[in-house]
Amino acid sequence: MNVRENWRIILLAVLIVVSALALVGPGGASGADTDGTVATSTDPTNLQYGLQLSGGTRIRAQLDGMTAEDLAFTPNDSRDVRQTVASELGLDPIDVRVRSVGAQTGTVEIFTANVSGDRFVDALNQAGLEASAEQVRPGVTDQTLDTARGVLDRRINQGGLTGGGATIVRSATGQNFIVVEVPNANRSEVLGLIGEPGRVQVVAGYPVESANGTAHEREEVLTQGDFTNISPARQGEGNQPPYVQVTLTDAAAEQYVGVMNRNGFTSEGVGQCFWQQNPDEPGWCLYTVVDGDTTYAASMGDGLAPLLRPGQDGEIAFFNNPTFRMQTGNFSDAQELKINLESGALPTTLDIQSELFLAPSLAQQFKPLALLTGLVAWFVVSGVVFYRYREIKVAVPLLLTAIAEVFLLLGFAAAIGLALDLSHIAGLIAVIGTGVDDLIIIADEILQRGEIKTGRVFKNRFRKAFWVIGAAAATTIIAMSPLAVLSLGDLQGFAIVTIVGVLIGVLITRPAYGDVLRNLLLEDL
Amino acid sequence: MVAFDVRDVDYDKYSNRQLAVVPLVVLALALLVIGAWWATTGVPVDLGLEFTGGTEVQFTADDGIEAVRSTFDESGAVYDSIQPAAGGNTYILTTQSTDTGDIEAVAEQAGYGIEQVQGRSASFGSSSQQQALIGLGIAFAGMSVLVFLLFRTFVPSIAVVVSAFSDIVIPLGLMNVLGIQLSLGTVAALLMLIGYSVDSDILLNNHVLRRRGGFYESTYRAMRTGVTMTLTSITAMITMTVAATLFGIPLLPEIGLVLVFGLTADLMNTYLLNVSLLRYYKYEGVAS
Repeated sequence: MNVRENWRIILLAVLIVVSALALVGPGGASGADTDGTVATSTDPTNLQYGLQLSGGTRIRAQLDGMTAEDLAFTPNDSRDVRQTVASELGLDPIDVRVRSVGAQTGTVEIFTANVSGDRFVDALNQAGLEASAEQVRPGVTDQTLDTARGVLDRRINQGGLTGGGATIVRSATGQNFIVVEVPNANRSEVLGLIGEPGRVQVVAGYPVESANGTAHEREEVLTQGDFTNISPARQGEGNQPPYVQVTLTDAAAEQYVGVMNRNGFTSEGVGQCFWQQNPDEPGWCLYTVVDGDTTYAASMGDGLAPLLRPGQDGEIAFFNNPTFRMQTGNFSDAQELKINLESGALPTTLDIQSELFLAPSLAQQFKPLALLTGLVAWFVVSGVVFYRYREIKVAVPLLLTAIAEVFLLLGFAAAIGLALDLSHIAGLIAVIGTGVDDLIIIADEILQRGEIKTGRVFKNRFRKAFWVIGAAAATTIIAMSPLAVLSLGDLQGFAIVTIVGVLIGVLITRPAYGDVLRNLLLEDL
Repeated sequence: MVAFDVRDVDYDKYSNRQLAVVPLVVLALALLVIGAWWATTGVPVDLGLEFTGGTEVQFTADDGIEAVRSTFDESGAVYDSIQPAAGGNTYILTTQSTDTGDIEAVAEQAGYGIEQVQGRSASFGSSSQQQALIGLGIAFAGMSVLVFLLFRTFVPSIAVVVSAFSDIVIPLGLMNVLGIQLSLGTVAALLMLIGYSVDSDILLNNHVLRRRGGFYESTYRAMRTGVTMTLTSITAMITMTVAATLFGIPLLPEIGLVLVFGLTADLMNTYLLNVSLLRYYKYEGVAS
């Protein structure tokens, strides 16, 4: 066999072997000696399946908020700007984020869905920033988006739902979405994990005597970021409640000890929390607050209090081992608390745009059925092709080439780790369709008007057929490319598979079919 | 399979006008249906959940439809409709609300197995709709530009574009008549039609314009290949539609059905409309 004349067939054969390796070879870096035992799933291939074929939940959300960009202020003004905007809009300062960009400008974000653009502009003007409506847009900054993505990602993976994750998707119209996908979990499980911002605070509440009687002060002592070394949730000893043990950072420990000592927690307040019995006169309490809701109120223990007070040498023993127990009402709250502490708080609330849940039992049964559908369609096509050509030498290579195209495409999907969904299956079908069309064009062109006398006539005819195929492929690619870029979820996968499939077809498999035909037909002479 | 023997078609017996009138009348009818639909419902074709927003909950229940409805009515859950889905004891509940926590709780309590929950907000739906329209628009415009670049003559190029337009519009009209909603799947099918449609048109134009030989001989040769192509695709799509419907696989039947409509329309448009335009161009258009 002449290598130079048949390089297309050789290339196709090589790529089929590569695809086979990608499909069923040992996955990734685990090495060749594991010999297929890596796969623990029932699926013998390396193909990955998306939600529609494996089951699970997908949630697409936007972040509530508004952003004003290109505002003129220096980093030193940040704190004032934040305070003013928050108080003008009646927001908690934590819901206002001021970022300096360079020395002279910056952005201000507010994390709420309940403020109009005009009010935001007014508040910015009150803070002396000379903002206009053009500078304000709905949505949050990229940094905030990325923070939120990281938080969601950690929450899903620490919450016992494996294999899921959060990604950022940008639409062509400039909107940003966070897409959370979790296989094998239902919608309420996922929403339970990600639905709330999960902002954890430790708040100190204590009585303050004044001329008007006793008032109850609340002051934030600790919040996310003040903790390192977060332990798993534990059951309390004896009749103590469940808790999560955390280690405070040095700065946080200092702040904590200061607040405790100044306000009587370590002296008259020890063991004096009555919030459960009498919320109006609770005494000295340490509240565990999640998203603004007080979930538990604890007393200062008589074991801890002495460690917080300065000793005879002025040293505070607590600083040597600044651990702190955050107590909760029940064990599942403690587990949730741990997740929230570890993953961090979402900067703002999620505005859910779309959600999909598919029961794994249902989805997984689509997999073999979709394969079966494809096979049946292929057999029908085979029947038509045989009927039309009645020539084994033309029909068999044609059908094998069509299958090879699908095989290469699946190998490609396995190699890049594309998670196959029904939309990709639809794309595969589109590729088979255009593939068979093109192969028929090649076959007809070459078989026309009787015998082929020489290799040159053959080349000439093949080139003519290829003009049509190339033109048709170019239009298909142009027709699909907007969808590959616009993020329409399902359609994107469809478009990408179709484009890649058409490229594989036009560049590799369909020319190879021409060579196969030449070998088979020229031998006759 | 008589259609393979395309030499039976005697084009020279019919005038261009006679040939073109059938596809043009069908196109006009399809446009009429779409126009009437637009005037009465406000949208050219019924939009599916993906474009309108709302939620669909699919579940299985051993109860009959009446019992299922009363379960939800008694619970006070808000919903728009409950319909039995294809395949025995499966039901689909639709609601405009995106919070389906209540409905799921009711279903679970009644012992129904939730198979699928699909929801999207109205704003996301309308932005998807906008993107799908932009996608279709750009795809069609891109195809048109490329076709004009390939042939560089007006009549043959416009023939391809008009025929592709008709191949998309006729299935849209049929979707209205048969009550198929526009979903992401059907949009995908319409886009696929652009590709399929152009395939056979380019083949025909290429044979007639770029090869030696008489008009009729070239047309017959192109037809022999083109009709095989399209018929093969149609049989494949019919098979896929039937198989996927029997197996209860979503998305694929809609795509298959729309493609069957479009490919059938393409046979008509290519070998009546396109041929007549090309013949006009070949015998009368060039001289002017």
